[in-house]
Amino acid sequence: MKKYIWFLIILWVAFNGVSAQEAEVKEKDKPVRTPFESGYLIDNQTTLIPIKGTLEYVIQHKFGKMDKGISDFYGIYSPGANVRLGINYVPVKNFQIGIGQTKKNMYTDLNAKWTIFEQTRENTIPVAVALYGMVAVDGRNVSAFETGKVVNTKGPTLPKSVKFDDRLSYFSQLIVGRKFTEWLSLQAGASFTHYNMVGWDYDHDKIGAHFNGRIKFSPQSSFIFNYDVPLKIKKISEQWEWTDHPKPNLAFGVEISTSTHAFQIYMGTAEGIIPQDMVMWNQNDWKNKGLAIGFTITRLWNF
Amino acid sequence: MKKGNFRFLTYPLAVLFTGLLLVAFVAPQDKKFGGPWEIPANYKTMKNPNAGDADLVKVGKMLYTKHCKSCHGNVAGDGPKAASMKVAIRSFADAEFQKQSDGVIYYQSFIGRDEMPNFEKKIIEEEDRWAIVNYLRTLK
Repeated sequence: MKKYIWFLIILWVAFNGVSAQEAEVKEKDKPVRTPFESGYLIDNQTTLIPIKGTLEYVIQHKFGKMDKGISDFYGIYSPGANVRLGINYVPVKNFQIGIGQTKKNMYTDLNAKWTIFEQTRENTIPVAVALYGMVAVDGRNVSAFETGKVVNTKGPTLPKSVKFDDRLSYFSQLIVGRKFTEWLSLQAGASFTHYNMVGWDYDHDKIGAHFNGRIKFSPQSSFIFNYDVPLKIKKISEQWEWTDHPKPNLAFGVEISTSTHAFQIYMGTAEGIIPQDMVMWNQNDWKNKGLAIGFTITRLWNF
Repeated sequence: MKKGNFRFLTYPLAVLFTGLLLVAFVAPQDKKFGGPWEIPANYKTMKNPNAGDADLVKVGKMLYTKHCKSCHGNVAGDGPKAASMKVAIRSFADAEFQKQSDGVIYYQSFIGRDEMPNFEKKIIEEEDRWAIVNYLRTLK
């Protein structure tokens, strides 16, 4: 963990140096207009951060899986729904902090996003680069952890053995995005996920690759998609075999944006909403009736 | 409680409901335009640095669709939210509107008053604001 913190500090210092140079260029070359309509893209983050002083309220909801068809109206009546309510604030230019609560695992999360570079109109800076990080606390009762923390046996978790640290999970991501044309913006990302406590047959760490974007088809509407792949990397795995390796998260939908809102309605696989949960635990497969309907709504206020 | 107890309300409620429905159609026509604008002198004489920049019209249209259309509609002031406003919204094609200077339109659009919100924190760049003014000029 210490190494990891040092790494982030060094990264911060290194990029700050570059930012200073960037400030000089900015006089001539302005950032591109709206590479994305919102800081959210389905359940991923975009490099966009609203202007300083903006308060953003977000509602993210996913219904149950559609596999039972009309009997539960494609998941709408299903009990397996998940929801997250979040608030984000932009205290300084291109830096955002947020807090949220998710139904699944009773997560409470703190998150931060920093857009280091914005893509500029004259291509002085050809891509936008952002860092995103989230720490979440699993707030469930100890009995819900099942075999989460065991030392030598495969028995249940003992109530007193779970400490606060065990409930923490971390997600950090580097996002690189580019607005290619007025109608096409794409992003690629790499992420590192760490859970302090997992079951005996799971890994604590996962590296993820992310790919997402939007295709605008009218001034207010876009087709949006994302694809998040938890990578199979033997070096960081604690297991001999890939049992229960998480499935990729595929989602696609439509975004409609207005002056202060973004509405995104989509079909996607992961039932988790916070990124570390999706990378670590998604077992729904889009090839095997794993899709569910979901939506994201954001509202902005400026102060 | 017996179901029959409230039967006597059926006719009064039906009349009330029908009345409300009719009022809903009539009320908007009674709306008046807001009074004359008090424009500060520096805005009256403000020059549009991007006047006649045709490239910006497209940008202006995009921004208009995102920020203005929900109330102002395509041109005529008949967007989906217009009905819930206290005052009537003037059409951009109206000569009353178009005869104003660019600076005055800038003040009305981005500083605003009463039901017309301030957009200075939503549309930050000067160039983007003038792009909208340029677009409004094409709606004659």
